[in-house]
Amino acid sequence: VPIWGTLDVAPLLKAAPDVTELAQEPVVYEGAEVLQLMYEIDVYEDLLPKALHPTLPPTATIIFWKTHEFTAAMLRVGCRAGIRPRGFVTGAFVDDADAARMLASRWGLRSDIADVRLERTYHRIDATVPGVLSCASVDPEPISGGDLLYVANMHLARVGGAPRLVQVDPEYAFHKVDRGRPEVTTFDAAALGEPRVNLVYPMSASWTQCDLTLPRVRYICDPDVPALQGTEKIG
Amino acid sequence: MQFGIFFEISVPRPFTDGIEKQVYDNCLEQVRLADELGFDYVWAVEHHFLEEYSHCPAPELFLTACAMVTKKIRVGHGIVVCVPQFNHPIRAAERAAVLDILSGGRLEFGTGRSATWTELGGFEADPDETKKTWDEYVRAIPKMWTQERFSWRGRAFSTPERAVIPKPVQSPHPPMWVAVSSPGTELDAADRGLGSLGISFAGFEEQERKIAEYRRRIQHCEPVGAFVNDRVHTVNFLYCHENVDRGIKTGLRLSGTFGYLNSNLLVARESYPTRSYPSLGLIAVARQDQAGPGDPSKVPEGLAIGDPDRITHAIQRWESAGVDGINFLLNMAETVPQQEVLDSLRLFAKEVVPQFKRERVASR
Repeated sequence: VPIWGTLDVAPLLKAAPDVTELAQEPVVYEGAEVLQLMYEIDVYEDLLPKALHPTLPPTATIIFWKTHEFTAAMLRVGCRAGIRPRGFVTGAFVDDADAARMLASRWGLRSDIADVRLERTYHRIDATVPGVLSCASVDPEPISGGDLLYVANMHLARVGGAPRLVQVDPEYAFHKVDRGRPEVTTFDAAALGEPRVNLVYPMSASWTQCDLTLPRVRYICDPDVPALQGTEKIG
Repeated sequence: MQFGIFFEISVPRPFTDGIEKQVYDNCLEQVRLADELGFDYVWAVEHHFLEEYSHCPAPELFLTACAMVTKKIRVGHGIVVCVPQFNHPIRAAERAAVLDILSGGRLEFGTGRSATWTELGGFEADPDETKKTWDEYVRAIPKMWTQERFSWRGRAFSTPERAVIPKPVQSPHPPMWVAVSSPGTELDAADRGLGSLGISFAGFEEQERKIAEYRRRIQHCEPVGAFVNDRVHTVNFLYCHENVDRGIKTGLRLSGTFGYLNSNLLVARESYPTRSYPSLGLIAVARQDQAGPGDPSKVPEGLAIGDPDRITHAIQRWESAGVDGINFLLNMAETVPQQEVLDSLRLFAKEVVPQFKRERVASR
């Protein structure tokens, strides 16, 4: 029997957002930038709700979204929902209160407000959340958008008062893509929602300029039931 | 049509004392029976670090044991990982030659490059390089087998002139294959005169198209070995039972366990963006519907599960698609009890295989 998540989500629900209206229509952010850094970590099932199970080896991804309306940073633990690749978001920061409210109420993303920044120069792409996270994709080289595979988020939220994982699978229309070397110089795992995440082995960094679409929510699932049994289709 | 059995050597959690030995013993018992029943091949993978999914890092040892307990069945590396951090090419050639000798010339030599970060990362291999090193290996290894002394200056490895010994029993050397999961690898196989060892579970239409193109291109190949191997094999699940519903139910449990364990692995493309890995590999099998939870009751196209009639029909479809051989996965994580695996093999050999052997005799 594969290993399953063992995380008790009850304590996390106190801070989880109430989804007042699941996103019914997609929102497109043209000319957005996305940065993703991926690391191996050293904790397996303890970081994931029972609905999910870890990858072998376990991983964490740091993701930044920079749009014309907001910039967001988040930490995810790599996982599977049934047989599908996903990332369980442990914590996030957004630089705009209105955007943060929208992401919470429609897509279930809990976040704190901070001065989130993503800046690209010729030789590196730097991203920061002051005092919490400082990271970069170093020595980026162009690659094709077809070489990238970004997987969907799972956001812990309350939907209709019940605890649910909201599946958010953004779509990307790539204009430029770079692959670089991941570098993390400041990493406050606790501030990012999961103090047990320890970045032990660098895997990859990628940056893209793209049209980023946050889609309508199509699936939610019970965090305490294996995803194959606990997934509910929306609409 | 030829038939083989294909081993991942999947071990269920919890990893209790003796469980790995039990699984290996079960596999050897299946091989012995398959040999007695007239199966043509036994293939074993090379995988590392893939907990539960595959505890088979040293297939040459397992295949040697298979050869020792069988008489006719051919033993196949499915595959040797042609990446320097995994296997030095000279060591791969040496081990294969010894296995060919010990098996009495029954070796099939499959080649590949690994598709998971779990393995590539574990050996700190560069995913960008694996296609290049594979290409170098498949050109160098047959020369090691056929030249009295061998030297090489290359990207993946170099060696001054040495006698790579022993030489294989089969002359000029064992048949060579490449594992095909990424799109386009079947064309790489064709261009090099290598057999296509399909390890993805694509449907009929896609396979038919790929096989047709393979057949066309291999006519004009520049073989890397001393001869062309133009056979096309595919992989499938096998569970055969007199009762079709029970056969399907157990077969789906087998394929579902495979998909589930496979999904735990980190595929290269998910972990490290590179054009070297354009597909999800075997995981594509398990993710027919990327977006949703799918329909677990649906039997995917072409699976050899059910009763003999249903399985015969599926194999006829594969045969019409141009496949020369099918290699069957019999179990995953011991989800099917050993006695049922053996009974399934016997029933398949009794009721299904003769139909294809008869057709082959008739066609001659």
